[in-house]
Amino acid sequence: MKQRAGYLFMAPVALFLLVGFATPIFIVGWYSLIEPRTFELTSDLTLANYRAAFTEGYGGPFYWSILGAFATVATCALLAWPTAKMLHARAGRGAAIVTGLIAVPIFVSESVRLFGLSLFLMPGGGILAGSLKALFGVSIGTVLNTKIAVWLGLVYVHFPFMLFPLLLGVALIPQDRIDAARDLGASRWQVLREIELPLALPGLAIGALLTFVLCIGANAEAAILGGQAVTVVTRAIEQRFSYAQDWPMGAALTMLVTLVTALVVFPVLSRIDLNRLIRR
Amino acid sequence: MKTRPTLPASLRNPMAGALSRRQMMGGMAAGLAAAGMPMSARAQAEQIALLTWDAYADPRLLDMWRETTGNGARYEIHISDPTSVNRLRAGETDVWNFINLNNPWARQVLWPEGLIYDLPRDRFEPLYAQMFEKFAMPYDWALSQDGEHLLGVVQRFETFDFVVNSDVIAPATAKDEGWDLFNNPDFANRYGILAYEDWNVMDICMGAGIHPYKPKTEADYAKFEETARRWINNAKLITTDFVQLNLAMLNGEIDLYFTGGTYTASSARAEGATNIYAITPNSGPADGKGGINWIELNSAVANPQGKEATLDFLEWITTPDAAEIVARGNGNLQPVSQMAQDEVLGRFSADELNAIQWDEFDERIANAVEFDIVPDYDRLYDIYSAAIRDRG
Repeated sequence: MKQRAGYLFMAPVALFLLVGFATPIFIVGWYSLIEPRTFELTSDLTLANYRAAFTEGYGGPFYWSILGAFATVATCALLAWPTAKMLHARAGRGAAIVTGLIAVPIFVSESVRLFGLSLFLMPGGGILAGSLKALFGVSIGTVLNTKIAVWLGLVYVHFPFMLFPLLLGVALIPQDRIDAARDLGASRWQVLREIELPLALPGLAIGALLTFVLCIGANAEAAILGGQAVTVVTRAIEQRFSYAQDWPMGAALTMLVTLVTALVVFPVLSRIDLNRLIRR
Repeated sequence: MKTRPTLPASLRNPMAGALSRRQMMGGMAAGLAAAGMPMSARAQAEQIALLTWDAYADPRLLDMWRETTGNGARYEIHISDPTSVNRLRAGETDVWNFINLNNPWARQVLWPEGLIYDLPRDRFEPLYAQMFEKFAMPYDWALSQDGEHLLGVVQRFETFDFVVNSDVIAPATAKDEGWDLFNNPDFANRYGILAYEDWNVMDICMGAGIHPYKPKTEADYAKFEETARRWINNAKLITTDFVQLNLAMLNGEIDLYFTGGTYTASSARAEGATNIYAITPNSGPADGKGGINWIELNSAVANPQGKEATLDFLEWITTPDAAEIVARGNGNLQPVSQMAQDEVLGRFSADELNAIQWDEFDERIANAVEFDIVPDYDRLYDIYSAAIRDRG
């Protein structure tokens, strides 16, 4: 009886996932197997789109998306760890304000934030360059329209997605363990490596996964800040679906991105004890 | 462009005749409301759906339409002409009522494939008498290939080529040099690309010395690829946002960009940045012309639901008040065919006319070939998009 109730409670979510997730993936998968630039789902199936994905210069976009995602995860983790430690240690003493300041931009459109950053970085009349020139007579160049600008934008947009899960992770570290380790003569590095990181790992892993998945699908940073200095894979997919009207090729690229994401996410996810993170 | 003589009021304002129809509709609505039918239900029944470029999504236009007729309108802005054509082909004719596309699509694709209705000629042909001479009937782009059916109403039009900073490159020089400016190594890394990608393909054809609307030889494809890769690799930035390009020009990052024209330059010029200057080359490989002149045709999608309201809308957008909003649509200034009428042209100040470079508009149109469907576009686009992927 109890088991049947469990299935009943699960049914709405299962139905939603079936309609909203599994079915679209199935359709995209089917499209990826039909002839390029056709829309006939009943035509003969082919692997031509997958062959083209490996032979027609899509390696670059995949490379830049995956590299950008890993670089952003690493940078955000490095920035978020001390921030999370500080916010946890000073909980209740202004930490809420800092947390709020970090969280509020999430409620503003990503494009608006990136255009804001673009105005900040712009040479000549940009906020940074213009202010330095006006106040100190210093002329500087700009990183706008370069790969560095893309990386900056990725970190700027995705930092909160690393920070907040990490805050949960840091909260899992009991202070008495750290105190005990120190009493037993552990160095700060040993405390970090052997006590703090393993205990905060679920939060760090969730943050890293969120950041990675969002970054591999990111396009606006390269478009708005990077001046297309790099072509990311989502841009290549967009081109196939829109101007090229080549849905099968776009679908094949989408399936490959999904596969890459799954290859990264599932092994990590299988090692995370979510029950522990939510303190069950 | 010279204005045409002002027409009699009844012809000048097509809705003057239709006013009684509107009044009658209003009266009917009032009667229905009195009979207990909620107004919202009536408005719902008259809702039309626009698949359009941005000017017709201007909230002022749609509010005025709602206030004038009581009809609602919803919209979606195109990604590209072919994308929207394929959406209609895929069965979305029952979703949309109004489609606004560049000139060749109605005549060459939408009508032959039964995706749009023809318009009653007695009702809509007089609207063409209120436009510039260029659009005088029989105007081919608005007619089916057999000349029997009227397929839409012309409104926005201009040339769309490239934009320079006139403080750096004299407009006269830019017009003479034409597309070779982008072939000039001195401007490598000094220009941007507005990623309206189907337009970029046509521009690169021009720069490669190829007529964009004629079939290509293998030598043409090779030349196109060489030019595409060079132009894309030498671009300082590529973006879908023309404001970003105008800002980059004002900041001295770039001196010119393609694709661009009045549509991309006019709002900046209206704000005083008159050094942002739209250029149409004096010559080029398209039958001796280097510019491209697009003309938007507004058509009624073959959707029986809302057909009458759509025809009303097509007529109403040509009224001076509506045409003025279309010309100012989405914050840009854009020439419309109704500016042939003194009543419409007179609504624009000297500064606004300067912003759209009205004094040389005739010359630009004369130096441009009319927009058309690019033969073998797929192959050219694949070359172009591969070059974009290889850029970084």
